[in-house]
Parts: sequence; structure tokens; C-alpha cells
Amino acid sequence: MPEKKDLQKDNEDIRIGVYTCYCGGNISDIVDCEKVRELTETLPNVVVSRTDMSMCSDAGQAMIEEDIRKHGVNRVVIGACAPSLHEQTFRGAVARAGLNPFLYYHVGIREQDSWVHHGNHEAATEKAIVLMNSGLAKARLLKPLKPIKLTAQKHALVIGGGVAGLRSAWDIANQDIKVTLVEKSPFLGGRMAQLETVFPTNKPARDSLHELIEKVIDHPSITIHTQAEVKSMSGYIGDFNIKIEQISRGVSSELADQEAVIDSCPVEVSDEFNYGLKTRKAIYQAYPGNFPSTLAIDWENCTLCGKCEKVNSSGIDLKKKSEIIDVNVGAVVVATGFKPYEPRQGEYGYGDFKEVITLPQMIRLLALNGKDKALMFKGRTVRNIGLIHCVGSRHVPGIHEPQEDGKVNDYCSRVCCTATLHMTNDIRQHYPDVNMYDVYEDIRTYGRNHEEYYKQASENLVRFVRFQAAEGPQVFASENGNDQPLVIKTKDYLTAGLDIEIPVDLVVLSVGFMPNPIEELTKILKINPGNDRFLQEVHPKLRPVETAVSGIILAGTAQGPMNIQESVTAASAAASKVSVLLGQGQVELEPFVADVDHDKCNGSGECVQVCPYEDAISLEEVTINGKVCKRAVVIPANCVGCGSCVSACPNRAIDIQGWTLGQYESMVDAIAEGMLALEVSA
Amino acid sequence: MATNKIKVDALVVGGGISGMQTALDLADQGYQVALVEKEASIGGKMIALSKVFPTLDCCSCITTPKMSAVAHQENITLLTYCEVDHIKQNGKGFIVGATNKPRYVDMDLCTGCRQCEYVCPVDLKNPFDNNLGAIRAIRVPFSTAVPQKVVLDIDNCILCGKCQTACAVDAIDFTQQPEEIMIETDSILLATGFEVTPKDAKKEYGNGKLLNVIDGLDMERLLAPTGPYGHVLRPSDGKEPDSIAYVQCAGSRDETLGVEYCSRVCCMYAIKQAMLLSGALPLADITIYYMDIRAFGKGYEQFYQNAKAMGIQFIKGKVAKIKEDENQNPVFRVEMVDEGGSVVEHTHDLAVLSVGMLPSFDPTPIFNVPNDTDGFIMTPDQNFSASLTMIPGIFAAGAATGPMDIVDSIMTAGSAASAASAYIKSQQNGKEESSSKIADLQKESQHA
Repeated sequence: MPEKKDLQKDNEDIRIGVYTCYCGGNISDIVDCEKVRELTETLPNVVVSRTDMSMCSDAGQAMIEEDIRKHGVNRVVIGACAPSLHEQTFRGAVARAGLNPFLYYHVGIREQDSWVHHGNHEAATEKAIVLMNSGLAKARLLKPLKPIKLTAQKHALVIGGGVAGLRSAWDIANQDIKVTLVEKSPFLGGRMAQLETVFPTNKPARDSLHELIEKVIDHPSITIHTQAEVKSMSGYIGDFNIKIEQISRGVSSELADQEAVIDSCPVEVSDEFNYGLKTRKAIYQAYPGNFPSTLAIDWENCTLCGKCEKVNSSGIDLKKKSEIIDVNVGAVVVATGFKPYEPRQGEYGYGDFKEVITLPQMIRLLALNGKDKALMFKGRTVRNIGLIHCVGSRHVPGIHEPQEDGKVNDYCSRVCCTATLHMTNDIRQHYPDVNMYDVYEDIRTYGRNHEEYYKQASENLVRFVRFQAAEGPQVFASENGNDQPLVIKTKDYLTAGLDIEIPVDLVVLSVGFMPNPIEELTKILKINPGNDRFLQEVHPKLRPVETAVSGIILAGTAQGPMNIQESVTAASAAASKVSVLLGQGQVELEPFVADVDHDKCNGSGECVQVCPYEDAISLEEVTINGKVCKRAVVIPANCVGCGSCVSACPNRAIDIQGWTLGQYESMVDAIAEGMLALEVSA
Repeated sequence: MATNKIKVDALVVGGGISGMQTALDLADQGYQVALVEKEASIGGKMIALSKVFPTLDCCSCITTPKMSAVAHQENITLLTYCEVDHIKQNGKGFIVGATNKPRYVDMDLCTGCRQCEYVCPVDLKNPFDNNLGAIRAIRVPFSTAVPQKVVLDIDNCILCGKCQTACAVDAIDFTQQPEEIMIETDSILLATGFEVTPKDAKKEYGNGKLLNVIDGLDMERLLAPTGPYGHVLRPSDGKEPDSIAYVQCAGSRDETLGVEYCSRVCCMYAIKQAMLLSGALPLADITIYYMDIRAFGKGYEQFYQNAKAMGIQFIKGKVAKIKEDENQNPVFRVEMVDEGGSVVEHTHDLAVLSVGMLPSFDPTPIFNVPNDTDGFIMTPDQNFSASLTMIPGIFAAGAATGPMDIVDSIMTAGSAASAASAYIKSQQNGKEESSSKIADLQKESQHA
């Protein structure tokens, strides 16, 4: 094996520094770090072996730097947390001391050892020693590597035209980075457009939203595509090639007599803007004053009857067209938002009784009802409203039924408590005679000025009834022909667990958040949802808006439940991250890509056939010793270092830089030897 | 007084997690940033915590790399032990006067070897350990401090000179004077953080006089691996407590204290500490007395449910009074809301007050930035630009704008950096857009 020969040659020069981190007790409570230090200290090539309470601290890093500078350490092995957490941190320290940052190897002895072997100190310590030993074996074979530097497109794609997407787009564009914004629906504004006022400012929702939309539309660096969806993506951070499918609107922006055109349409479908409380036509606007102001054709429901064309032939084109737009961007912001939880048939009477609606529906009902007359629902005056919290949120396995995908909605939706109380205050203001009963588990008015809504609701004589998860409220039809059609039955833990019955005209379910269905998009972008199905950030504190795919950034409620303020803040934070990534016009990629030894390659092309990526490896004509022959050539920017080609190569001519077969073998050997030694000593 | 001058794009005031993240987000975009911190090390409140919810990462693992990144980021000028004295409008930007307080140590010479600290004969209560442990009069503020340089507490120094003798590089200088720094900047970001409710705020909970009634930050230090005792011990007799109880909303949602707001972090830190305690003291009973459990963030509700499954007891009820029995055990008088509202007395070994968050720094006298009725910095456009203050060019991030946890603080830091960089760009490109927008907002909020 040639690597072993190289090792022999280099052996005398290799000076390894070994560092075992306590991780503030995370590791040292289980693993005897001092024993690890003592044993590794005696191993070949090891010059120093040290421990520290937290190696990633400035002092810990300074210690490593000093060893490199003063003690000639030229290979570094650190046993600490998972490399995903601090590999970058330590590469920085190694580089600052003047050593190639890839001459350092990170051994995970927290996630892979101390966190999974509680209560077995001895075995955990032995495992740590074995792991460190294999890290040392690799370190002896490390070679200096250079990161791959690439030009970054100063252009970002924002997916989603709700408040988070709009705000991200605007903030990014203000950093002199071009933005393309795509929105799946024909109109901008997302869920926020469906609100009337927003807490905690009580300002009209659409006024603020429209102000932002106008700014985004007017910004010279932002291009907007509505009725557009991302269809494919290739490339990498700094240089993503994205295909967007744009569906034609079917209506010209010049179209004059909008109302007559709408009236002519014979199709009536459920109006999603009003959550089904009304119907709309197949040629429609979301709401008066929406952006863009041009009507759109709902291609799914349009029967192509042509009646609208008869009213106005020049402004309407009933031929649905689709166009592919190619964009080349450096980063992608995913702001695909949420949808309100849709209760199951029969959940708190939803679907069984027409008087059971959701909070978003109630908000639309109040808007449609108007403020200066009695509150009506389906022809009846509403005098008593029951509000039930945590519908579709805070579900407990064993108590609540799982969703269709088998998962239990075990998360808190964060927004519903304040949103519900905000609404009760609105109701009290405009309908002073309505009685309200708020059936809750915990009231979570956590935000700045949110507690005020709770206080106000109490002052407004909203009656609070507290249930416990295991004994949640139930909704029944009224038995004795009461004035009120429904009755909520529950145990009330504010009154000593009494069984109480609340007759009501209307039940409003404070439904939680669900992510929008974006499975296809997540496959295209290769990003992952977490257990709660919302998109997963790398780390909530260290990299809160980044996904596992470099250059793909999260904004707003695609990541989890958030209110308007939090969505906008997250969107701005996402914009900051995009600006950090693309602002300098250059990005760096890790050099862990395939590398072909042209002396061993015979141009069999098997690597090209197994490569799952486009343009990552190909057979090219090269001149070797004056002879032209075919050899495999890697394009590093397109290679992800998956290793498929390595296993396919019949000549062992390919290796992944930084993860060579020789390195793997030495690590496996070290582990095997370590295990053997343990068995012998036992 | 010698005066140094620096010119930057942004001045960040406060070196806690929000200030560090804001500074990093701006510096990583290529802006020149000065970070001013009044303490001798950056790190803020976060660096003193044990582990953080909901991931239970050790807090140092998250904080120290950020501290280190701040120290190594070439675009950041770090000014610790430094306070802003006055500011002056300078066109659309500012000229800020700050004072480097004397550390009585030459920062260029000191190597952080701590020989002076080892020989210092003065033992003081350690503020980093919430006064639970001890520290010398000359010391590195804490083991992971940035910068790793000593600072001398001159008020408590007996001028024995031992440190001077011990110092190999002759870094100790008892004659050091305050130094003035003039910072010319286009923008200012206030990340001045929070304080917690003082322990003596509520006479019902013993006015801070009961030894075995501690607060959440005390418990953080007891649980931290770098903590004063290495064990969770109760103060009166150093015994390991078998029964620990948390009092939620001890300083929040309490009109008698003038604090009507929810402090947003206390439910989660109590649950987290309860979990850590069940690891540290497996046999101890842990009870949390609460009004509402507000586990609202990503992964928080699941964390709460895990705690319940681990056997931590949650009792709905506001603790009315804590007194002491003859063994100095705290005795709780509490209304058991879930059990018919009966009023009972429960005795525990150790009580932890889940104290709330209060504003720590009043920016009005120096920065002319007004506060809201809750005492935190007024942010007139809470929904759309939560980092804008009433003064164009001055932004705010983190808990200076109201209670929030670390995750949310980091988000606001990113958003404040975004707002500030747009402002800086518009100033430097000579565009007016951003500042006129702020003026509109201010007009609007004054009308409202």
C-alpha cells in the first residue's frame, strides 16, 4: 500500500498535538478525559496531549495555536463535540497559527460517546481512547488541502411572496444584491393579507403589508414572478442554476371592466382568502386592492367556457401557457410559510356542526360581517362564543390521535393564544353584548405587550375555563333545544375541576400552524424538515437560519410557528446571512472531493457511469508522456465527495481528498487493534 | 487624558450574545465595527449559564466560540472595560465619546498567566458566580474570558504589591488613568441586555433574607461545570437538597412590582434546571409551582413534556408566601388550583425564585433614546422594524428591547444588523430613503 510507504518516509516529521475537551462536563462527567490524555500522550508521533474545560474557548484555541507555533505541532487531533458544531472554529485556530487547516482531525467523543454511554464511565473512557487512537491514525496520513474558491453570484432567489419572503427580498436588495422572488399563487401578501389588524400594534394588517409590497415592487433590483414555482436546482452555494416554471395569468394588466368580467364567470368555488366562508369565481382577485391588481384565472377550476372573453376579448387569454425561466443565483431563501391546521372531521365537532369554525375563519367572519351591526353567522345572531385553544397543537401521544402522516402535533403554535385574545378584544369592542368563553390549557401571552391582551380580555369579561390535556373539552349538539345550538362540556380546573357545560352559538377553534405542503420543493433543494415537519435549521443558536445545504437559508414560518414580528425579524436575519455569504462575491467550499491519480486510471469510465451528479466527473483526453489518452477528470465544484466513483474504480485510482481509502484503512485498523488490546487486558 | 480616535461604520454597545452576534453579522459583511463592553470580558449573561434549552448544549460550547470569533474578526475593534459617556450627532452619523476604565494592567504586556491572581491575598465574593464563590482582587474575570487579561479591582485592593512582584512582564501599573476614546460612526446598535429581578424584591418571598431561597441565576452557577462548588449545595448548611421547588413568575406578571409583562424565559429555564437537577441529584424531588407554562418556542413544548415524563412535578398555583422552619427549610404557602383551590403548606429543602427580566441600562441620558412604559427601549415599529429606536441611526437588539431568550436574541441581532447595514449603505451612498422612513415612523408613533 503506497500510503504506508509515504507514512514511513514522513514519519519522523509528524508531530501531533492531541486535545481532549471536557466540554464543560458534557464529556468529562462520563469519560475520564485525563486518562485519555495520559494514554494518548505515549503514542507514536504525539508531541503534546492536553485537556481543557472548553477547548473551543479563546483560551483553549490559544493553547493549540501556541503548541503549533512553539512546539512544532504539525498535526492536530481534537476530541470534543460533533465536528458539525466546531470543526470550523478549530480550523480557524489551526490556520491562525500558520498550519494548513486540513492538517487537523476532529474526533466526536460527545455525540458518539459520552452522550450515549451514560452510567458506564469505564467503557465510555475506553471507547474514547479507541476513537482518539483511530483519529491519530488518520492524522498521521493527513495532507495539506486547499479550499475550493468560487465566484458567487450576487443574486438571491426568494421562494414565497408572504411577509417573510417580501421582507427578505427587500433587505437583501438593499445590500446591492439582486433578488428574484417567486410566489406560487397569483397574488402577493400571503397569510398576512387575510388578517385585519395585527398585535401588538393593532395596526391594520394590509396597510403595513401593502407598504412593504409597494416598496418591493418598486425596488430596481427585485424581479417578481407570481404563479411561479421552482422546478429544478443544480449547482452549489454561490452558483445555483434554478429553473422556474411561470404559468400565464390569462388576464392582461390593461383589462378595464374587471367587475363585469368577474360577474360573467359561471364558476363558483370556495374562496380560500375567506377560508371557505364565501365563494369566488374562476377569474378572480384575492381581495380588493391586492397585488398585483390584475385579475387572475384559476386554471384548476376554470371550465374554459369563454364567457369572460365575450365581455372583454382583448384582455383575456384562455390558453394556459407555461414558460421556464432560468436564474443563476448565489443563495436561496425559503419563505414558504404555513397553513392553519385543518381539524379532522368531528374534532371538537368540526365538520359535524356548521357552527364550529376555526380562528382564521372567525377573523374573516368578523371582517365580512361589518362592525356596526349584530354579529351574524349563517343567518343566526351570535350571542355566545366558545373559544377552544390548542387545536392541532400541544398534542400528547396516547391522548390525541396522530395526524395522517402518523406524527403527533406535539409542538406549541406560539401565536394562537395572543391571536385569540387579540380577537376577543376586537369582538368586545364592536359587539359589547356577546359572551365569550375561553377554554384553554395555558395562556401563553409571552411577547412584548402581549400580556396586555390577556389582562384586557379579563377586564372585558371573557370567561376563562382551564382544561387539562387528558380531559379536553368536547362539543355536542344542544339536547334540550336550547337557544344555543351547541354545548361545550369540560372539566374546569379554575373551579376545582367541576364538570361544566357552556351553551354557545359558535365554537371557534384556535388552530395551530402546519407547514405548507412543500415536499416536492424540499426534494429539489435537498433540505430536510424536522420532527415537527417544519424546515430544520442547522443549530438554533449557532446557525439559526441556515439549512444543512450551504446557501439555502430559511425565513419565517416555514421554519416553525411565528407571529408577524417574529417572521419579519427572522426574514431580516436571513437577509443578513445572505449578505454575509454573497456580499464579498466569493464563496469557499470544502476540498473533500474526488481526486484521480492519472497514473493509475486507465480510462475505463466506470466512475462516470456511477456518478449520481451532473458534470462532476467525465472522461477527457489528456496527454501523458506524450501520448493522448482518456482519463477521468473531476470538476471539484460539482463533486460532493460521495465516494461512489471511489468504490467503482477497478484500479483504485480515485480517492476523496481528506478521506482517502488509506486513511480509512488506518482508522479501521486502529479501532480493531484498540478493541483487541481491550479484550486482551480484560 | 490621552485620546484615541477610531472611525467605524457601526458601534455596538454591549458584548453579550446579542451584541456579539450583531457585531459579527456586520463585520462578516465587511463593515468596520467597534464593540464596547463595560465589563472586563465579553460574554454577557449567557457565558455564566450552565446548559441551554431546548438542546441542552453546554452554554460555553455556544458562547465561547462566538467570543473567540469576535476577538479574531479583523473588522471588529473590541473595547472591553469601556463605557460610552456622551454622543454627538455628526451629520447623519455620530461622534461617540467613551472611556476605557483603568484595569491597572497593561493590556499589551499581560499574558493572562494569572501568576498575580495566585499570589493576591484578597478574597472577594465572585460576581461571575453570583457571589457564591470567591475571587481575588486581581484576576482574569472567569476562565473563558475574552480577552484573557487580568483586571484589578482597585476598590478592594490593599496595595500590598505582591502582584507586581509576581508579574514576569511588569504589566501591573497602579497609576493607570482612564483613557478617552472618540469613535466616529455611521450607526449605533444598543445591545445592552437585561438584569434580573432583585432577590429582595418581594417581601412575601423573604425579602432576600432567607438563605435557602435562591434565584435562577444562582442555580445556573450551581449547575455549571465551572461553578463555585462543583455540586448543587444549599447555602445555609452546604447540604445536598432532596426537595427543590421553583416559584414561577417571581418578578414577572406581577402588578405589585410594576412588572406586568411576562419575562418569557423563566418557564423554560426552570424546566431546564429541573432536568439538569434530576441528573445531578437523581433522588431529589423537584416541583415547579406555576401560573401558566409558557413553552412556546421551537422544540420547547416537547421539552416540557419530556420534563413531565421524567417525573418533575408541575403544580398550578401562585406561591403566596415563603417562610422558614427551624431547619431553615423554606415553607411554601400555596393555593392548589388543580386540587380544589385548597391552601396548603409545603416544605422543601431549597427554593428557587424564577426571577424575571428587567431593563439593565437606561439609554436615554446618553443616547437620547426613549424607553417604553415597560422600561425597555422603545421600538416604534414593533412588527416591521423591531430594531428601530426613536433616533435615526440608532438600533436596538436582544433583551434591551424586552425579555427574550437566546434563540430570539440571536434572531433580533441578525435583523438589527440588516437594518443597520441598510442605514450605513444609504448614508454612504448618499441616499436618504432609510432615514426618511424612520422619520415617518416616528411621526406615526407619536400620533398613535
